[in-house]
Amino acid sequence: MDGDAKLARLLEHPAIWRGRSAAHRRGLPTGFAALDAYLPGKGWPRTGLIEILVSRFGSGELYLLLPALAALTRAAAARWCVWVAPPLMPFAPALASQGVALDRVAVVGGARPLWALEQALGSGACDVALAWARQPKAREIRRLQLAAERGRTLGVLFRPRRAAREASAAVLRLSLEPITAGVRITLLKGRGAMRGAVDLLRPGSWPV
Amino acid sequence: MPELWAGLHLPGINPEKLQQLAVCAQRFTPRVSLAPPDGLLLEVQGSLHLFAGVAGLRCALMSECLRLQVQPVLAFAPAALAALVAARAGKPLAVMDLAQLTGQLAPLPLASLRWPPDTLARLARMGVRTVGAALRLPRAGFARRVGSQQLAMLDALTGRTPEVRVTFHAPERFRRRRELSCELENHALLLAALAPLFADLGAFLRARQCGVVELECRLTHRHVPATRCVVRLAAPATDVQRLAGLLGEHLSALNLPEPARACELRADALVPHLPGSNGLWQPGEHGGSAGNEACGLIERLRARLGSEAVHGLTRLEAHRPENAWAVTEPPPAAGRRGAQTGCSADAPAAGRRPLWLLRAPQLLCVRDGLPWRRGPLRLIGEPERIETGWWDGGEIARDYYTAVDIHGVRLWVFRERAAPHGWFLHGVFG
Repeated sequence: MDGDAKLARLLEHPAIWRGRSAAHRRGLPTGFAALDAYLPGKGWPRTGLIEILVSRFGSGELYLLLPALAALTRAAAARWCVWVAPPLMPFAPALASQGVALDRVAVVGGARPLWALEQALGSGACDVALAWARQPKAREIRRLQLAAERGRTLGVLFRPRRAAREASAAVLRLSLEPITAGVRITLLKGRGAMRGAVDLLRPGSWPV
Repeated sequence: MPELWAGLHLPGINPEKLQQLAVCAQRFTPRVSLAPPDGLLLEVQGSLHLFAGVAGLRCALMSECLRLQVQPVLAFAPAALAALVAARAGKPLAVMDLAQLTGQLAPLPLASLRWPPDTLARLARMGVRTVGAALRLPRAGFARRVGSQQLAMLDALTGRTPEVRVTFHAPERFRRRRELSCELENHALLLAALAPLFADLGAFLRARQCGVVELECRLTHRHVPATRCVVRLAAPATDVQRLAGLLGEHLSALNLPEPARACELRADALVPHLPGSNGLWQPGEHGGSAGNEACGLIERLRARLGSEAVHGLTRLEAHRPENAWAVTEPPPAAGRRGAQTGCSADAPAAGRRPLWLLRAPQLLCVRDGLPWRRGPLRLIGEPERIETGWWDGGEIARDYYTAVDIHGVRLWVFRERAAPHGWFLHGVFG
């Protein structure tokens, strides 16, 4: 009886990490209730690298992040939201209409996206850094994850679907595919995560 | 110790040239003083014997001015203001004795003193147009009716009270050169060779409480001209570690034509720098801001990727989608944001906009009357018509549709209203 209480108090120590119950650190609400319930920590992690694997560019992966981006950029002491090597130019009016504060957005161009992403993650100047990289190596992803923890930044790496078989140091890996009514999200890796997939129906803010 | 001032009046000179002339004039005397916008004063009593008297000094000064392509009027007087006023009046006086000064100044017009125009007009109505006439007025009445400041100027003019003038100091710059003991090509080794120069620079900046916004590194080669490598900063920097890091980024991107034999660091413009206090919190914690980190990040990214590689986004009021956004300078660091500038509440109700826009619309092929991109595109929803720009030559008339391709990707396509009614891809919803 007494031992149980002691053990419970010991286990509350923040340095102790326990598989499923690791989720006592609140995540960043995704803006989708179904996804919040599905993710460990009830939202996106606030620190660390996440990977979103898509079969094709434009499958709805950015809409998935927009509510979180809007909340981050509109916070009082918001840091930057950096887009590293986006394949096309983000369209400012659409971002603004989705609630993203454009005065927190910076775009970093082309060459050496992984180096630029590591700088952005490690600098501590960004709340979130998004990057599109073709074929990062497992070692590079590990470096990115360490940089994100150093800078207390959320890094989002968009990768092709075939990368699902490779090992990765990211804290969270999702795979996303479009279905008729919305998108299907499969969790590939996550600390204390549930298995399975969740279907997100297309909300009103998404394109028809 | 009596003084002798040389006053130079240089009509229409620009500030840079005046500065340049002041630097050259330090050859004649250590006491040089600027009288902006167009005057320069030199205290030359101690230097007269070196130039064989006033005549010799006048020749030397004039030839120096000619070399810089300026045409001065030069006057000598025992009071600084007297020399300047005589030069402004166009009188190349050379008064050596304080006793003769008042007599020599008397015929000069009062306008050369550059008093306010209404003061001069009031005095002119009283019939006072020359320095002599002003000096004859009773002092107490003059101070009451014209102003005590003007009376003090008259006293300084006649040498009654000594005038204190600020001595000009040439702007400082940093230049250090180091010959290398062996020729180097590797940028890491070069950076190590530059370390003592950076240490010198750090001590130099610390002693003067200055920072630099531009730093140049020159690498000298045996046969080809020197390689220049310039680091430009977003804010004045005093931290040499950071400067060395940035220069390292530049050097690593550089292709040296030959190994370097010597290296030199130059910082020409120093900026006064007041060290700020550091925040208590780490960035991202509690109320911690990200000010310095943001500047550092921009500099590092720009040093390696080029200055146009980092930019911000803004949206413009325009109906043509191509013109509805623009590239801006990177956003300012967090924490300094003012009022929210129309972020989303005034979102365009004009219609759905894709998150990604192509730089230029891309022509799609058409099969069976429908657009085709790796398969047939399915159009959904009502079209949105954008028809504008007829007044400035950039006329467009398009019907925009949302289309879904065979993989479920949502695209923003349009059909031109004018013949030949081509289909174009213009955006991806993402």
